[in-house]
Amino acid sequence: MPNHDAQLLHLEAATRRRFLCDAGLSLGGVALASLLGNTASADASGATTLAHDKPKLHFAPRAKSVIFIHLAGAPPQHDLFDLKPALDRYNGQPCPEEFLKGEKFAFIKGHPTLLASPFKFAKFGQTGMELSQLIPNIGSIADEITLLRGMKTDQFNHAPAQLLMHTGEARFGHPSMGAWLSYGLGSAKAQLPSFVVLVSGDKTPDAGKSVWGSGFLPGQFQGVQCRTVGESVLYLDDPAGTTRASRRAALDAMRDLNGLSPFADESTRARVEQFEMAYRMQMSVPEATELSNESAETLALYGATPGQASFANNCLLARRLVERGTRFVQLFDWGWDAHGTSPDDDLLHQLPKKCMESDRPSAALVLDLKRRGLLDETLVIWGGEFGRTPMVEYRNGKKEFIGRDHHPHCFSMWMAGGGTKKGFVHGATDELGYFATEGVVEVRDLQATILSLLGFDHERLTYRHAGLDQRLTGVVKPSRVVHEIIA
Amino acid sequence: MGYVGHMRYGAAFLALLLAMAMLLLFQVQPLIANTVDDATLRPVDFDAEVLPIISEHCFRCHGGVREMNGLNLITRDRATQVAKSGAFAIVPSHPESSEMIRRINLVGGAKQMPPATSALSAQQRALLERWIAEGAQWEKPWAMQEIRDEASPNVRHASWPREDLDAFVLAELERRGLEPAPEADRQTLLRRVSLDLTGLPPEPEAVAAFLADEGDDAYERVVDGLLASPHYGERWARLWLDLARYADTQGYEKDLPRTMWLWRDWVIDALNADMPYDEFSLRLLAGDLLEDATEGDRIATAFHRNTLTNTEGGTDDEEFRIAAVMDRVATTWQAWMGTTFQCTQCHGHPFEPYAHREYYEFLAFFNQTADVDRDDDAPILKAKSAQFGETSVLVMQELPAEQARKTHLFLRGSRVAPAEEVTANTPSVLPAMDASLPRNRLGLARWLFDPKHPLTARVAANRQWETLFGRGIVESSEDFSLHPQVPELLGHLATRLRALDFSMKAFTREIVLSATYRQSSVASATTLARDPDNRFFSRAIKRRLEAETVRDASLAVGGVLTRTMHGPPVMPPQPPGVWATVYSGENWKVSEGGDATRRSIYTYWKRTSPHPQMLALDAPSRETCTVRRTATNTPIATLATFNDPAMLDAAGGLARRALLEEHANTRARTAYMFNVALSRGASSQELDRLDAFVEGERERFATDTTARDAFLAALRTPDGTLDLSEYAALTSGANLILNLDEFLTTK
Repeated sequence: MPNHDAQLLHLEAATRRRFLCDAGLSLGGVALASLLGNTASADASGATTLAHDKPKLHFAPRAKSVIFIHLAGAPPQHDLFDLKPALDRYNGQPCPEEFLKGEKFAFIKGHPTLLASPFKFAKFGQTGMELSQLIPNIGSIADEITLLRGMKTDQFNHAPAQLLMHTGEARFGHPSMGAWLSYGLGSAKAQLPSFVVLVSGDKTPDAGKSVWGSGFLPGQFQGVQCRTVGESVLYLDDPAGTTRASRRAALDAMRDLNGLSPFADESTRARVEQFEMAYRMQMSVPEATELSNESAETLALYGATPGQASFANNCLLARRLVERGTRFVQLFDWGWDAHGTSPDDDLLHQLPKKCMESDRPSAALVLDLKRRGLLDETLVIWGGEFGRTPMVEYRNGKKEFIGRDHHPHCFSMWMAGGGTKKGFVHGATDELGYFATEGVVEVRDLQATILSLLGFDHERLTYRHAGLDQRLTGVVKPSRVVHEIIA
Repeated sequence: MGYVGHMRYGAAFLALLLAMAMLLLFQVQPLIANTVDDATLRPVDFDAEVLPIISEHCFRCHGGVREMNGLNLITRDRATQVAKSGAFAIVPSHPESSEMIRRINLVGGAKQMPPATSALSAQQRALLERWIAEGAQWEKPWAMQEIRDEASPNVRHASWPREDLDAFVLAELERRGLEPAPEADRQTLLRRVSLDLTGLPPEPEAVAAFLADEGDDAYERVVDGLLASPHYGERWARLWLDLARYADTQGYEKDLPRTMWLWRDWVIDALNADMPYDEFSLRLLAGDLLEDATEGDRIATAFHRNTLTNTEGGTDDEEFRIAAVMDRVATTWQAWMGTTFQCTQCHGHPFEPYAHREYYEFLAFFNQTADVDRDDDAPILKAKSAQFGETSVLVMQELPAEQARKTHLFLRGSRVAPAEEVTANTPSVLPAMDASLPRNRLGLARWLFDPKHPLTARVAANRQWETLFGRGIVESSEDFSLHPQVPELLGHLATRLRALDFSMKAFTREIVLSATYRQSSVASATTLARDPDNRFFSRAIKRRLEAETVRDASLAVGGVLTRTMHGPPVMPPQPPGVWATVYSGENWKVSEGGDATRRSIYTYWKRTSPHPQMLALDAPSRETCTVRRTATNTPIATLATFNDPAMLDAAGGLARRALLEEHANTRARTAYMFNVALSRGASSQELDRLDAFVEGERERFATDTTARDAFLAALRTPDGTLDLSEYAALTSGANLILNLDEFLTTK
């Protein structure tokens, strides 16, 4: 039987919709509210949508917003988070046969050999969390974070693995986590989109815009990409030769003319509201994205430089957005796919470069949120779509550069704030860091946990589609909230 | 549930009933919105009304899995047997002797059923009572029942119907105490039908000619003209591009380009030629298997080659070949049968009409093609086009018999857990495949059009209706387990579609000539109160134009639309930086000359990064089959129509048209622009308001020539004799007009 509560929500939604219609309440109000995420997803044309009211929170939330930093391409856990002395001992030795049974690799050919990390680890924080010296700043916030060493996925190619991480399905067509949360939560304030996407590293993620798409949810829940160079949001800038005043005059005339139309109805009012909202966003988005308003000290903390496109700027921007009511900020940083085919994607050149770019701002974000009293209500998540092999990859047999191949069986992520434990390590891998052995957290368990911290039971945040009450964590295999990491 | 795997028809049917129960619980509008009046309109519908109640309240204990106190409500046979208590729960036609009725009316005590915590409402109790009084029938779910030729109902307002279908709409309205809306005025109707049939608004000359035409058949002739327009195919092909998940790239990580446009052109041409829907479908699914298949027949099969190809390193080709085959199964069911068949991919469900095994038997039809998820996308058909020279398209091609694949059932839907071998077959809940049909894609396509097939004609008729009315008779056009609002109307339409030999143009013609279609969208207060959601088609539905139509209509009224048909995809302007994707070295290079302003159906479609304006206006990414788009209303969408340079280009075009026509002054030019864009004259009040804005802009631009020049810099160079401030002000006014609610909707 489908979940009883889910059905109740549907009934509630349907009856409330009817009430709104019967009572003749302004649809415009509803549409406006929908943008704010307060009530319904009313339809522009006034006709074709099955409106879905916002589900209520299922329990008291620990976090109000999420900043999910996705290091696209997948950072190597053995070089950053998961120290394996055995790899030093067996460096260059063939990987034991028993690990390789039935294994497929994206690129490794032949019998692979083990690779010791070329980087040293050190103990950080009061708990002595062992982390790579490539990320000393993240080390400096060790006492603030929960480190997940037993992450596991079932996808070993970027696009499907990214889709799984963000939509709960390795196939296309499903809503992203941010879309689910916008659907559930909405934006706390009217002036900004509730789900914002920030991309650095020159490239969008492998799976394209689907990782912030709305899938089968209405399009209004898709992520809005926000940029620190050029127009902050596509089409946000007024055309050259217009002014705020002239655009205001146009909107005033538009509102009057829409009202004078013999076809004006509630949906007309809803559209007028959206134009007004856009007009306000034209002020509030540039204000939110204008990093030069930050103090020199803050800019230095992140290593941010206003006017650039950088990971550091995106971290700072994420804090500004969350501060202003955005519910879900998704960062994508491209360049972590360290196969070792050239200095642009190897462990000795590219990885230190990526760490240099991201270590300080990642830590700064947590520190900055903390000192502003926002960390308790903001969940920061940091990680890739899968892990990398404990074995070396020599592409085409060339040994000039070293890298690691894609690896689904274990990887590391960390979280901070939003009700997670501080200075805590959850999960572990075997001696070689091949399989997760303890505290295994599958991708959908992570998603269930994130929803839980935001006040949602992942089995009850549902949307009716294709004859099923769909949910982020899928309807097939049960997922579990990782209570062990919740403070 | 083990029995599902071996079900014969009876068991499948039961499972189906139960499935419907699950799906219907809270989706069936009458349950929510029923008034006492509604309840007596027709005999109780078991499937729609009773099953949801007993499924929700009774099946947990009496649903077959458990038979508490010997009572099993799954089948009529079992439910009418004596229970352990010695009583009969249901005595057909005798509610007074039925223990069920006695128990549901008890208040308190252990004998009350269902227990007090989930007691039935008075309305539900009355419904069950009436159902038993009417004989306690256990009917098949509506969509699985054969399509009946519905008798035309009697209506009081006998002069209103113009087409047979109108009687069905009117009968329902009259049953509900509703009146149809008056006929829309002629300009409104012309604009609506032009946009609906061709995706373009009428030119001012067409409006004038129609208004001047006093012939009784003026509207009919306009409709015939629109149906004959080559733009008809361009507009309706859009639906098939969404269903086919059509794009110009392979998808997944690299999302490299591939050549598919020959198929898009084939669809446009087939629709324009009014290829009957059965013939059309046969070619899409199995054109290559037709005897003496033509090149066109083979191009048509690219429909199912629009599946994604994964060229990412190290991917298992077999894994993604199977993913593509599964996608073809899902798409075939969605597009032709309005059903999400993939639910049974992993295992059967006790409440599902389809068994796990049946999914793989159906998959076997599609498991015999030569494509194998390789980078080269083979097999590819090389074709010679008179217009475009040598080109190519991905096609379906059956493997030779000696290479035929075996199909296995996959446990949990996982190909690494193959179980027994299965052979191609259709599910038992639907009419069996005729023995004369080959067990391949061709046979399958012909089976879809078996006169006894209950879904194909219904789904097609519903899709056409949905596109023309903004709402299907089955609102969830992707899911026919939910109920139609006016069942007899859908039955009638499906029958008509068959009677017209699946001519979509003839079918569409009947709909747009109907009194139902010609209604005004403006509703009376009574209508609004009694049919607030327009579930019974008591008026026309105001609809936001589809993404493509928003752009195409703007370009058309701006006089800058390039009407060239066919050919490789084009790249209209898009904001810089949108196409920064991994690996692909492809650049968005804006097409030159008129190609930048072709109809949107020709715009290059990259799956990982479709044109942002299309996305903002609710177009799908075309990674999977999309049956129905949902129009949403967001600030991002308003920015994409108000600020997009292409929209300004269109506005500039409209201003130039106004300047080139002979008009006395700014006000007259403004009036002209309003008229062209909205296909109606502005009221004096409207014109005053619009003119005031344009005059304000004119003053601003005349004073601030820097702003004027900046504004005009993005626009096409106007004729040197134009007054630049006037041109800029009119463009600003046109930009406003093209963002009015009335412009962005059909009304």
